[in-house]
Amino acid sequence: MTPEFLSAIVDTLLPGDHSAMPLPTGTAAGVTARLERLGGTAHDTVLAAIARAGHGEEAFVRADAAGRIASVRHVEAEMPEAFRALIAFVLRDYYEAESVLLAMGWRAEPPQPAGHVLTPFDDALLEPVIRRARMWR
Amino acid sequence: MARLDPVDVVVVGAGLGGSAFCARLSERAPHLRIVCLERGDWVDRSAMPAYRQDWQRAALGAWATSPNARLSADPTSPSADYAIDDSASPIKPLMWSGVGGSTINWAAHVPRLHPSDFRTRTLDGVGDDWPFSYFDLEPYYDLNDTAMGIAGLAGDPAYPPKHSPRMPPLPIGRMGELAARGFNALGWHWWPAEAAINTVDREGRRACNNAGPCLQGCPIGAKASADLVYWPVAQRNGVTLRTRCVAQQLLVQGGRAIGMIYRDSSGATQEQPAAFTVVACNGIGTARLLLASNIGGGDGALGRYLMFHPVAYARGMFDEELDGPRGPVGACIYSHEFYEHRPGRNFTRGLQLQVTRENALLLQAARLEPAWGASAHRLLREEFRHSLSVMVMAEDLPEARNCVALTDTVAADGLPDVRIDYTVSENSRRILDFGLDRAEEMLRTVGALRVVRVPLAPWSGWHLLGTARMGDDPSRSVTDARGRCHAVPNLVVADGSLFPTAGAVNPGVTIAALALKIADDLAREVVG
Repeated sequence: MTPEFLSAIVDTLLPGDHSAMPLPTGTAAGVTARLERLGGTAHDTVLAAIARAGHGEEAFVRADAAGRIASVRHVEAEMPEAFRALIAFVLRDYYEAESVLLAMGWRAEPPQPAGHVLTPFDDALLEPVIRRARMWR
Repeated sequence: MARLDPVDVVVVGAGLGGSAFCARLSERAPHLRIVCLERGDWVDRSAMPAYRQDWQRAALGAWATSPNARLSADPTSPSADYAIDDSASPIKPLMWSGVGGSTINWAAHVPRLHPSDFRTRTLDGVGDDWPFSYFDLEPYYDLNDTAMGIAGLAGDPAYPPKHSPRMPPLPIGRMGELAARGFNALGWHWWPAEAAINTVDREGRRACNNAGPCLQGCPIGAKASADLVYWPVAQRNGVTLRTRCVAQQLLVQGGRAIGMIYRDSSGATQEQPAAFTVVACNGIGTARLLLASNIGGGDGALGRYLMFHPVAYARGMFDEELDGPRGPVGACIYSHEFYEHRPGRNFTRGLQLQVTRENALLLQAARLEPAWGASAHRLLREEFRHSLSVMVMAEDLPEARNCVALTDTVAADGLPDVRIDYTVSENSRRILDFGLDRAEEMLRTVGALRVVRVPLAPWSGWHLLGTARMGDDPSRSVTDARGRCHAVPNLVVADGSLFPTAGAVNPGVTIAALALKIADDLAREVVG
């Protein structure tokens, strides 16, 4: 499978956006490169089915966004389990990418060791509850 | 098969029940020789994912909460799992198999049952009364609180006063404050979650730093788990823990348990004779082992009356930025406004509303529908760091048709394969629908732009209860009030299987309190 075809699939699944902190495309986030390195293994069946649905790899690459989406949806309906496995694969790489985490307003570092800071508890909020009578039986 | 030297007590399972039992019995009766068999191993905290860049995907693989998911996604998981056929259950069982059991990956939200939960038949005409009261169990709740360390606030009007000391509560964050304002505006009860999570450094364990992914283990040890809390005591008292040992069959002779056959870490079969046998393998594992050992002949309550807590979610989307996946995931605030039974509703008993924190970005992305394309990006932008989830947890009443059963095939661990047959009852469904309406009402009150309802969360089967229930009637129960099996009096159960009813709260501290009480009951008999 050509790198252009894989890139076209990945960017159909993960197109990114154009907001103030734009989400990159799947290819820009490194997902296509990972899929290429995986070559010839788990997801070949579903990738080949997308090529067929798009009338060949080159035709899929040349198609506009609506055409690509239609081909992908066809395969999603045809082989849902294999398609879900492909989605799971690309989502994992995409949402671990630093560029994606930062674009979503999160941080690239894992939860530890820094942890997070939360505002301290304001117990004044509880005043109406504390005034309540016993509720238990 | 080697026959080992006899011991006084053999315990199967080093999860919360087995760990608490071993620690307490070894304190109360230090002369006893106690051996504990655990199918899994100690968890290596340095291998927990929270320090790693791939921490998010670990939650879908080796550190997933479902044993079936772990088995299919990553056979290298440190949990010693067995497959469970859950195809006949809309709720999927979740657990951890290893030293500490499911406290390794629990949320550590630790509400107690209410006093009324022990008397549902007497008060409300449903379920069965427990063979003792809340106040009989209360000293053991306090003991467990002291062992684990509880963060929380005294004075909740939904409970009798609690006597054990508390650390300051966890921060409830922006989402907790928003929900609290909603509950206040409606005049409803709420309270900061009680959590077995340190908010100050305590007994060698650090304070929580709000890192978030508690369900994949707490590498800094701020979250209490049975391996950290109970095993140091048990081992100091001389209890022998044998890990990677899978119990195969309880040996019974003349109506008495005489020992346990198990497969050790080398694969060799051993026989451990014992005067008492204690089983604490959770609501599925205990039933599986005892059914495989033909306890009770298969006609009674063993394996039946399986209870989960059916769970639904209402998720509100807000303009303002909230916390996202910061802070302990399951311990924020709760409301027991609708916990107690009230005549005139279209259901019996009640529910807990629990405000939970967001999941990691990848987990939220993976459950979107559709999960790909521009619309998935839009949905994720709308909810990530901008959503507030309210979990509706329903009381599940005991029904004999809901059960754990064996299949006619043998699993890799040498025991029969196991399946669960479970249906959400009409009553539970009505509770969930009522709770979803109330949750949505609260979310709309504080300005939710949109509310998504999840009518039943499949991946919520943490609470495995009722399959070896306590009671006086052997046709409707498996054990007596001391956890002793009616059919085999020196066989003791010490886990969530014992619950005659489930309440509508997380059962962890009740499991621990029960195990401590049962240990005391046994100690009184052997020590006097």
